[in-house]
Amino acid sequence: MDFQWDAEQQSFRDTVRAFLAANLPADWEAQAHGPGSESQSAFSKKFCGALAEAGLLVPHWPQRWGGRDADAWTAFILAEEMWAAGEPRGGQYMNVNWIGPVLMRFGSEAQQARYIPPIARGETLWCQGFSEPEAGSDLASLRTRAEKDGGFYRISGQKIWTSYAGHADTCFLLARTAPGKTGMSVFLVPMDTPGITVRQIPSVIGEGDIHEVFFDDVRVPESALLGAEGQAWEIARAALSLERVGIPRFALASRMLRRAVERLRREGRYGHGAVEQSARAHAACEAARLYSYQIVDQRRHGTPTGPEASAARYATVMCERLVGEFVVEHLPEALSGGDPLLLAHHQRAIVAGIASGAAEIQLNLIATELLQLPREPR
Amino acid sequence: MDFTLTTDQSALMSALDRLAKPFEFKPIDFHGFALAGDGLERELDDGGYFDIAQVPELGSLTAAMAVERLAWLPCTVDTALSMLVRPQLPGEWPRPIAVVENGRPGRFVATAKTLILIDGDQVSLARVTPGDVEPAESLFAYPMGRLKRRPAATVLSAEDAASVRTWLRVALAAEATGLLQAAIASAGEHLSVRKQFGRPLGSFQALRHRMAECTVLAGGVRWLALKAAATGDPADAALAALHAQESATRIAYDLHQMLGAMGMTLEHPLHLWTYRLKALVSELGGRGGQALAVARHAFGH
Repeated sequence: MDFQWDAEQQSFRDTVRAFLAANLPADWEAQAHGPGSESQSAFSKKFCGALAEAGLLVPHWPQRWGGRDADAWTAFILAEEMWAAGEPRGGQYMNVNWIGPVLMRFGSEAQQARYIPPIARGETLWCQGFSEPEAGSDLASLRTRAEKDGGFYRISGQKIWTSYAGHADTCFLLARTAPGKTGMSVFLVPMDTPGITVRQIPSVIGEGDIHEVFFDDVRVPESALLGAEGQAWEIARAALSLERVGIPRFALASRMLRRAVERLRREGRYGHGAVEQSARAHAACEAARLYSYQIVDQRRHGTPTGPEASAARYATVMCERLVGEFVVEHLPEALSGGDPLLLAHHQRAIVAGIASGAAEIQLNLIATELLQLPREPR
Repeated sequence: MDFTLTTDQSALMSALDRLAKPFEFKPIDFHGFALAGDGLERELDDGGYFDIAQVPELGSLTAAMAVERLAWLPCTVDTALSMLVRPQLPGEWPRPIAVVENGRPGRFVATAKTLILIDGDQVSLARVTPGDVEPAESLFAYPMGRLKRRPAATVLSAEDAASVRTWLRVALAAEATGLLQAAIASAGEHLSVRKQFGRPLGSFQALRHRMAECTVLAGGVRWLALKAAATGDPADAALAALHAQESATRIAYDLHQMLGAMGMTLEHPLHLWTYRLKALVSELGGRGGQALAVARHAFGH
């Protein structure tokens, strides 16, 4: 066991930081208006293109797809530095974290050839069509239907809370092809297909971040089916296991905590209560960091990640909460025009315990799989 | 960054598992507050385990893992201070080691050969002579003792005092790690077998979520403790001790709630872990003291 970065890891981190220093304006977050906004989506395409040219968009991917077969630590160091910088990749973080790898694992040759290269060049945006009005944490109860019609599928239904849908090129869509959990399938649906309507949902988390997406008899060729009919649960599990520890939220939370403390100290406002609360939040951030590192280390060694990934996610949710509460209590002016960066973080942190599944589902998994407690009767 | 145990670490942990096996359960007729592990102490001494931090292939990180593993046991021995703090003291000091903080009763004080005396900002070291100390009755699940008279002591330099405080924090967090895990496991066992309303208590979501949150906190304490033991960094040590005391405060309460009246008895072993945790929560200035240390070392306050 070793808690030091080796020379190669440190050198890669330095490279990423140097790239950010040279390519990311210090005030970019203040100008970008929310992770799903038009301005940020446009900014991210330009930024991700530059990352790709520098070999820093998909270094952890196989060489065949534009990567260099770098290990899980490389991917995570990259993610940490990006998230700590406010995630200038925007919605494209999903592409490199799990959409690309899932396509490599489950996609047909034609799907891979069509969708993976634009991701590796940083020029495309995806959205994740999972949640529905009646299917949130209980994903298996989804109702969107995909009915076979000759060489096509006709898709009808509604998705909700869909991030990035306003500017996405393609939807990674879950739909029902038969009853039950084994009747769910994944479709890769271009968002300009006739019959798709996107409606933005005004929210506290920022402009253009969440949407309703309506599918009204949307006709897609059978080649849009990812994997086999009924394979969605397996694909979604693979996607979520990459997503769960894919966002190093602690990195930005930690940076914002330090920013808030520095300001309070400068202004003589860092009193006893603030000291205690900031210290607790800092400990939670570092605990979440090490928890996540444990999962990355498992990935690096090819060990299947178990319920510890749920614990890592929950620890991360807790640290976001503590930092958010600290800022609200001790620097409330940040939410009233006093600090655009702290505001942007606060808005991002709101979704920490919700996006990619309610954190309470993680608690269920921990209770059953880590603690081996008896299951709740259904 | 690599979280895999080295061959030496794996071998040592396996050996410790074998050594700990006979001490795994509370003797059925023991109904006291603190279970002193005299037999365990002899075996650890004979095997040279108190000196593992000084073995270059093992070091403080492995010593912290050993402290964690031994804290799982219902009986208690001064492992944390002997294994983690003693190697950092200036000069040679015999074990067992105990801390007397501002004159209060402390763990293992009545049987210690070396005392670390903390008086405000001053830290001193003293060899115990007969008549200096005496046992103290206590609810805490450590053999507690107090000073009868103050022994001649060597006052440490500010630098040495800071180092001692850092390693006391590491030791506290490492010991809390094992205690938290063992206490959670003990309560989990109860929740799996105890039935109310026709089903095991552990199948009720209100309790499952609470236990899961305790587990996440305890896991965080473990990683922070191990990192602090590996780096010896004052900021890491302060974070680990703070998270340990925060988590212990909440978890000790929650676990007793899980056990209901059974947790009040001396027949059930839960108090042997929770009332050690409560002792640790009170040390080194408690949570407020650790928070100040975090602010000083991490934020330069």
